[in-house]
Amino acid sequence: MSAFKYGVSLYSYTEDLGTVMSLEDAFDHVAGTGSTGIEILGETSIPTYPEPTSAWLDNWFALLDRYQLEPTNMAAWVDTRITIGRNMSAEEGAAQIAQDLRLAHRLGFKFLRPKFGVIDGDLTPDPIWQPAVERNLDLAHQLGIVILPEIHSPTPIRHPVTDAYIAFIERTGTKNFGLMIDTGIFQDRPLNKWGGGETDEIRKAALSFLNGIKVPVEHLVDVIKYVPFIQAKFHHIDETLHDHHIPWDRIVPMLKKLGYAGYLSSEYEGARDPWVSIEQVRRQHALIRKLEAEYDAAHGGNIHA
Amino acid sequence: MLERSHIQSTGFHNIGPVGARTGFEVRIRQPNYRSSRLSLIEGVDLVIDGVEYPAEQSRIRVGEREYSHAEMAEETVVRLYVGTFFTVIVPKVGGLAPGVHHVASSIRFRHPYFPPEFQPVFVRDARHATIILP
Repeated sequence: MSAFKYGVSLYSYTEDLGTVMSLEDAFDHVAGTGSTGIEILGETSIPTYPEPTSAWLDNWFALLDRYQLEPTNMAAWVDTRITIGRNMSAEEGAAQIAQDLRLAHRLGFKFLRPKFGVIDGDLTPDPIWQPAVERNLDLAHQLGIVILPEIHSPTPIRHPVTDAYIAFIERTGTKNFGLMIDTGIFQDRPLNKWGGGETDEIRKAALSFLNGIKVPVEHLVDVIKYVPFIQAKFHHIDETLHDHHIPWDRIVPMLKKLGYAGYLSSEYEGARDPWVSIEQVRRQHALIRKLEAEYDAAHGGNIHA
Repeated sequence: MLERSHIQSTGFHNIGPVGARTGFEVRIRQPNYRSSRLSLIEGVDLVIDGVEYPAEQSRIRVGEREYSHAEMAEETVVRLYVGTFFTVIVPKVGGLAPGVHHVASSIRFRHPYFPPEFQPVFVRDARHATIILP
């Protein structure tokens, strides 16, 4: 029976990193969950992005070795509306992705998540996404990296944006482009706290998606073959290991049933009080590992410690 | 390391010659979860003790370099990184009086991956901070 791989995105420690937590502290916390993978945001974690210093690179590889972690995904951005008055051209978008592919490769990553600027409330990515990615498919292949846009709330699985990504994969036949599922799409109860950027304007205008877009986990069947990596988004898990928003008791069995054997990379997006995220990430790992073990036991498979 | 508050205690001071102050500065932690090109920051509005100091009248210092509001809008390479601060330089004849002030900041971030109708996003903070010298 296939087993999940476990990792943590350093996005989980937003606000702590740079105020009460260093990069090495973060490595220690990730390794302390029993994870094998670490995910970073290039522009966040690399102080001189896009060109790390040799000292930073030395430290990065020393930390990977010391904490026995492998780089999983590097998050990046294609800031299509680059100034108030001007959008990126396809050439500029392609150059941005090429730069991030090369950087991700230098750091040992296997996945690159470019976040494209959008043009409407449906989160339709700027049309340059397609030519910008297509120009980089050969480079991604040479570097052994899969480019993964995320399927992120409020965009569900069954949606023209997702359909366009799949059509691109089918048309090009590429193995170097896929989908990243953000488990926030399965959120089925309202949020009362949101990490990173909550504002009155967003709340008022908004963002009904904060109530959860409630994608049925069964919709994973449609796309799982295009999904090599999952960001395990969550917002609050209490001391009884009850997640208040994300239905792991339905997500985990579905992923197991579908034979998913990639990473579940924790992405905590809840209260940003100091040090809360460390404990929240640990609770998520305890919860998901428990559900995986229960599924395996019920289906005659191995129990993963 | 920096204070959790976006507005930092250290760095809040008057500028210009003693007796002929030309303004004041406020040091602000980059509060976004990723670095931002300066062109994606539409400005920082301040309110000190209820008096507004709009971004368009201020300058921003990043490292050693200063930018006007218009220069920031076109700067697509220089970034503000997580774990770093920048300084808002506000012209005000005479500066601020020594003592404790109520300082509020509102940073206008433009996130291209947010729908156009939600841009800019206002990221706010407020606290008491102290001017030591006249």
